[in-house]
Order: sequence, then C-alpha cells, then structure tokens
Amino acid sequence: MAIKVVPRYGKSFKDKLYLPAIAGGMKTTFKHFIKNLSDIDNLKTMQYPEVQPTDLNERYRGVHRLTKFDDGTEKCVACYMCATACPAECIFIEAEERFDEHNEKRPKEFKIDLLECVFCGYCVEACPCDAIRMDTGIFSFTGSKREDFVLDKKALMANERAKDLK
Amino acid sequence: MSSTIIIIVNIVIAVLLAVGLTPLFVWWERRVSGLMQDRSGPNRCNIGPFRLGGLIQSFADMLKLVFKEDFTPSHIRYKFFFTVAPVIVFLCSFLTFAVIPFADVLVIDGKENIMQAIPNQLGIMWFIAFAGLSVYGIILGGYSSGNKYGLLGSIRASAQVISYEAAMGLAIISMIISYGSIHLTDMVNAQSGTYLGFIPMWGIFVQPLAAIIFIVCSFAETNRAPFDLAEGESELVAGYHTEYSAMKFGLFQVGEYAAMSASSALIVTLFFGGYQIPWLDTQAIQSNINYVILAIIIILPLKIFFFTRWMKKNNKAIGENKSREKETKILTVAFWSICFVLIALLISFLITGLGTNGVNITTAVIQVGTFLIKFFMMAFVYIWVRWTVLRFRYDQLQMLGWKVLIPLALLNIVVTAIIVVVGK
Repeated sequence: MAIKVVPRYGKSFKDKLYLPAIAGGMKTTFKHFIKNLSDIDNLKTMQYPEVQPTDLNERYRGVHRLTKFDDGTEKCVACYMCATACPAECIFIEAEERFDEHNEKRPKEFKIDLLECVFCGYCVEACPCDAIRMDTGIFSFTGSKREDFVLDKKALMANERAKDLK
Repeated sequence: MSSTIIIIVNIVIAVLLAVGLTPLFVWWERRVSGLMQDRSGPNRCNIGPFRLGGLIQSFADMLKLVFKEDFTPSHIRYKFFFTVAPVIVFLCSFLTFAVIPFADVLVIDGKENIMQAIPNQLGIMWFIAFAGLSVYGIILGGYSSGNKYGLLGSIRASAQVISYEAAMGLAIISMIISYGSIHLTDMVNAQSGTYLGFIPMWGIFVQPLAAIIFIVCSFAETNRAPFDLAEGESELVAGYHTEYSAMKFGLFQVGEYAAMSASSALIVTLFFGGYQIPWLDTQAIQSNINYVILAIIIILPLKIFFFTRWMKKNNKAIGENKSREKETKILTVAFWSICFVLIALLISFLITGLGTNGVNITTAVIQVGTFLIKFFMMAFVYIWVRWTVLRFRYDQLQMLGWKVLIPLALLNIVVTAIIVVVGK
C-alpha cells in the first residue's frame, strides 16, 4: 500500500482570498439558472399531479391488495401470520369457516389501518399463501376522514396489480 | 406646481422600490433558487388563468400574513419593545431609500428639482445613519422575545454590525475622498464620462477595493446569506424573529427586503454609475434626444419579440390543463399592445418635437429606467449570492471583518488620499 498524499486546501494565497472560489461557485449556479431558464424542460423535477412517476418497480411497496383465485375468491386462509408479523399492529382479521373446494377457512373481515401502517412489507413476507401483496403502485392514498384510511376486505380485493410494473 | 408633482412622483418611486417590491423579490428568491437547483419553484397559485410565473403566490402569502392571528406569547415582559422592534427594522430600512437619486437634477421652467424622495443635503450620511439604526430593531426584537435563540440571534447581529459598520464606513470615506462630495447626485455625476476612451468611469473601476469591501459589508448589513448568522436557522431556530408571528414577522421580512433594495440601490449609485447610461451622460442624452428615442423604438419591439417567444416556449400546458397557454396568449397581446402604445407615443414625440421641459422630462424617465435596470440586476446578484455561498461560521465572520476588511479599508483610504493629494 503506497501512501496517498491528500492535498490540503485553504493555505495558499488564492484560497485565502475566498473570492475566486466564490466566483467559481457563482459561475456554476448561474450556468444552471440560464440552462433552466432558457428551456424549462431541463428541470429535473416533474409537474407532479399532471405527470405521474413511471419508474415504479417490483420492489416498490404501495397500498396492499388481497390476491384472488381465478374464480375471484380470496386466497387468504385467515392464518393471522401477517397480523402477527405486523410491527405496527394495523391488520385486523376476523375468520370464518369456508365451504368451497379451495380452503377450509377464510377471513370474514380483513382490515388494514393505513394510518398505522408503516409499509414495511413484513405481512407480504409472512404470508404462506401469497395472499397479500403490496404491488398496487398506489403511493398517495388520500381521504377526508380517519375512517377512510381503514381498508376493508372489499377495498383490498378491489385493488389490482399496477399496470406500470413490468 | 410642477415641483410638487415631482416630489410626489419621487416618493411614490421610493415607496414602490423599497416596500412594494417585496412580493416581487420573494418571488424572485423562490424562482431563482429553484432554477439554480434544477427545480421549478412555486408556479401553481393563480387567479383565473393568470399565474404570472408564480408571482401570485407571494401576494397570497402576503394576504395570509396580514390575516393571521397576531399572537404575543404570555412570557414576554416588555410588550412595547416586542411590538416596536419590527417597526424599527422596517422603518429604518425603508427610510434609507429616501436619499437615492433616481435621475439627474430635473430642470423644469428653470427650477431645479432633486430626484430624491426626501430632497435633503445629507446624502450618504443619511444612509449610514439609518442602515446602522436598523440593527437596533433586531437587537430589541431578540432581547424582548425572552427566548434564548432570539437573544443569541440578536447578540450575533450586534457583534456583526460593530465589525462591519466600521469597514463599511471606511470604504465610504475613500469614495467620498475620491468624489469630493457626500451628495449622491454629485457622486453619480462624477461617474459619467470614460477614461482611456472606453471604460466607463464607474466607482468600481475607480476604487475596486472599496467596491469589494462595500459590497461584502452591505451583504452583512442586510443580514442576508452568507452573513445571515442572526437568523441562522440551522442552529438558532429562526434567530431574532423566533417568537414573532403574523404581520410582525411580515414586517421583519419586508424590512429585510427593503434593506436589500436600499443596499442594492446604494451599490448601484456608488459603484455602478447610478442612473448614468454608460458612454452617455445627461448632456449627451439631452442634445441627442431624437437618436435616443429612435434607438428605444428599435430595441423595444425586439425585446418584446424575444420575451414573448421565450414565454411561448416555456409557459406551456401540462397534461389536460390548457390555462397556461391561454395565459400566454393574453400576456402576449398585452405586452405587444403596451409596446405599440409606447412606440406610438415616442413617434409622436419625434414628429412634433419636444420642448426644453419635454426633453428634460424624457431624459429623467430614461435615466430612471436605467437606474431600475441596474438596480434589478444588483438585486439579482443579492439573490444569486444567497443561493450560492454557504453561511460563514461565527468566528470566520468576525475574523473577516476585523482582520481583513478594516485594515484593507484603512489602506485604501491612505492610498486614495495620497493619490488625490499628489494628483492635484
């Protein structure tokens, strides 16, 4: 390992003058200013509500959804694994017996309080049946009352996988 | 009669530049900082289709500040000082504008009118007096807040002022020596003409060192970055105005921008030729008024053309909302109609010819325009520096003031005095 000599700045006369460095910084900011002023498309930001982000990927954790069998019934077997794994304790499940060919148990009600939820994705990891996923791509869930943020089974099953995801 | 009108016009210009421009400068600050950091800044607030590039946002903010609850915390013991502090800051910053000459002495019917808001003989002394006084408002505000952050902010402000006021005063003294007058009108008139045939005889070329010292000190004077230690939000919450809300806070804000306006006007007056158009002094404009008018008639449509083209390119619709394109169309028509009215007016001046008074008034208007252009450019430099340079550390600031600027300013006085004495 050779010794790498790091140059120390601030001791030379030019550095102590401050003004050349300030002029250099002002040149940089002015370049950006002129570039963006002459063509507003050079901005790095997007005009959000009109232009939506397109770079959501598979790992992005949006609002949850309950996956379904081909006949439209839920895959969930109400095993309470997600509710147990949840660090925010925001999943509330009420189980009941199921009488079709798929399973023996199903949730009567499945509620997620999005105001409590920390979007950690542990429920997705914990699920043994791949019944809950967070791939809806919904990143801005809004509501006017607290009650609007408690999603019930119907709402969770209405959510679909985001179309933008490859 | 005419002198009364001129005084009223001057006062209106001074009030507009000192106070009325605050929303504009807030808007500039936001948009310029946005563009410098590759983002767009506030551009949504609108009245009908009019956004004016986000200018409406600052008016909305102003309205909000006016209508907010004027809250005084219960632990404040000296309510009078607490209330009077923002008023002092505002009033002093505002009054500094009173001595800035907007144009050369205007002669109407043989009567001379000084183009200042308060036509007194104090000149630059008035500026020093009020600029120094405005820090009392900051000290008082921070002290009477009964808040340790406020107190620390005001202590910093006072330490900053005593280290910068001195260097600033000394820089001004060297300017007074080289111009031989304390009247700003005389100073500006001394900056007409050129030397070596092409360099305009502006203060910055006559006294570059004094110019740098004065500009640095006036940044410190206005409490703006890189010297905004008094409000240093990263360590002092908001410094001296931590406990203020509503319009009391708004007055501090307006005071800051008024101080910025006043300093940039004074920098322009002292070092960038004030109302003088480079290579064209008052006499030259008055004797060649027809050519000047002709030049304006040619330049104005060109400017409007490029501006409207820029606006059409950059003020375009996003998504479904077409209001921005509508705004562009309305504003284009408005600008062109203003342009044609002005050109028609100027052409009528050319055809009918102007009397002596008319020539003098036109010259004054042109000079006010020149002053405004320089003034806005200097204000832009203030904003530009704020969004470029980092805040100085407290000891670095003191070090710069006492160990660098004051000795340099003293040296500059000695050199200037020697040159003036030997040169005569």
